[in-house]
Amino acid sequence: MSQNSDPMHALMTYTSSRAFLAWSLLIVFLFASSPSLHAVESGEYIRITKAGERRIPLVLRGLDHKRSKDARYADGTDAIIRNGLEYTGMFAILGSPMNLFTGGTMFDPERRRVNMASLGSVGAELYAGGVLERDGGDVVLHMEVYDVLSGRRLLGKSYRGDRKKLREPAHEFCADLVELLTGKPSVFRSRIAYVGLNGGQKEIYMAAFDGFGAEQVTRTGGLAMTPSLSGDSSRLAYLAYIEGFPELHIMDMKQGDILPVRKKGVKIDPAWRNGSSEFATTFSFDGDQEIYLVRSDGSISRRLTRARGIDVSPSFSPDGRLMAFVSSRHGVPQVFIKDLLTGKERRLTFNGRYNTQPSWSPAGDKIAYTSMQKNGEINIFTINADGTGLRQLTYRARHNEAPSWSPDGSMIMFSSSREGQKKLYVMNADGRNQRSLNLPGQQMQPSWSLYK
Amino acid sequence: MDMKKHLLGMCVLPSVLFVAGCSCCDDAVAPQAAPAPAPAPVVEAPVAAAQIADVFYAFDSAALDPMSEAQLKENARWMLENPDATIVIEGHCDERGTNEYNIALGERRADSASNYLVNLGVDPSRIQTVSYGEERPFDPGQDEEAWAKNRRAHFVLQ
Repeated sequence: MSQNSDPMHALMTYTSSRAFLAWSLLIVFLFASSPSLHAVESGEYIRITKAGERRIPLVLRGLDHKRSKDARYADGTDAIIRNGLEYTGMFAILGSPMNLFTGGTMFDPERRRVNMASLGSVGAELYAGGVLERDGGDVVLHMEVYDVLSGRRLLGKSYRGDRKKLREPAHEFCADLVELLTGKPSVFRSRIAYVGLNGGQKEIYMAAFDGFGAEQVTRTGGLAMTPSLSGDSSRLAYLAYIEGFPELHIMDMKQGDILPVRKKGVKIDPAWRNGSSEFATTFSFDGDQEIYLVRSDGSISRRLTRARGIDVSPSFSPDGRLMAFVSSRHGVPQVFIKDLLTGKERRLTFNGRYNTQPSWSPAGDKIAYTSMQKNGEINIFTINADGTGLRQLTYRARHNEAPSWSPDGSMIMFSSSREGQKKLYVMNADGRNQRSLNLPGQQMQPSWSLYK
Repeated sequence: MDMKKHLLGMCVLPSVLFVAGCSCCDDAVAPQAAPAPAPAPVVEAPVAAAQIADVFYAFDSAALDPMSEAQLKENARWMLENPDATIVIEGHCDERGTNEYNIALGERRADSASNYLVNLGVDPSRIQTVSYGEERPFDPGQDEEAWAKNRRAHFVLQ
């Protein structure tokens, strides 16, 4: 809504004695006019935002601090919070207006009064700020978040952390803020696994959700691929070539032990089944490439496909009942869905002649996949699980591959060669806001599906 | 041109290695193995004696065309003439398409070549297959000339 033509905006300039009445009217008006944007229920605040629908205008004030020598910690924390919130693609971060506080105690977020009219005048819907304090080797962030339209304080909480690890308290605050708005676990508590290509060797790495703190977790000396993290993050399944031949490895992430599964033929692209300790993967020991359910001890639980041709790349619905997979049973690769309860299979994709890499969204409604097009590009699409709502998310950008949803379903990570080398990228779930993680070297096949 | 040279290198080198490798430990078949002139070519294509060489495929296909079948007949003859040799057939793909699917496709290529040899009488216990998908391209180029070289079943003497 436009600021200048808005009668509510005029109300904001009334004196404080009349402001309460004005705000009450405002809130009533807002609820009547746009109930989908604001909902306050039993003391909880959940802003209903359809994934990626639009960005929330947020004034993010740099952390105030009493002692000038704490400035570097405040600046460092500010940068982490800003980058973190920008990473989510949820916010349009605005500059802080000059006259933000109307009184109270500057270095006590519990007592300082935030000027909603000032925030409203710059178009903010949310305000976040706080005070940084140093306590020996720790920093403490006293954070506050306000809903500008209602004037309500949504969050007031302190975060303590090692001053050498500012990311931790800063991201705890970011996580709380995003979860407050979406009602879902945020990316800040998640990790990613991916394939890194360095010196001609592909090995599997793990990192924080934004690629920070990457660590190499496999040492095959040549070729490891298709990492898949179990839902509880206790195990990593992947394909490893050992002395020239492929093995399926199941790594215990706590102990570091590796359980090799050696069967004749290929082992391709494992995917853990939600709500179970099993994963599905392709084996060819029976003569044709079929998908099997495998227990975490490497033994086969049951066979899932029976069709001549390639069956590969399973991905499960959130309840673990449905499995999307790729099959060449009709000649060219297309995405199919199998109901593990009834055994019924149906074809999902009909556009294009090369559709692979299905990835089921955490909300269960959509499946992301890649399509190789006539011009040689590989692009990412989403489609509803019932086959409707086909939508292309990447355009004119070489190879865009291996989509993987964030745990809250708001973002998709993928690899792209749009700038030459293959790098990890993220975008909002609707394709907006595509940007590189800017990691050194080349990366591919991200698996982003678990919490710390 | 480039491809031919490359292929020739691939054919001769393994044969030489094989001869060198066998002459020390086995007196039976080694001497007459490789470079001797062909007695009577089974198919019209290659020049000299039976030689092992790679076979090539169309995009997203593991089907054998007449050229590939001719080469596989040659490879089978060599296998029968050199009964102690064992081979690994590596299935490879070009960089187009996606990595996971290409691992599967590469196996189908290696299998189609292997099955052809077995049908011509080669003992299956002498053949191993492995797929590398698009992970080990022979030519890193990004045009059809490079891709055509990378869509192959690659024969490696053990």
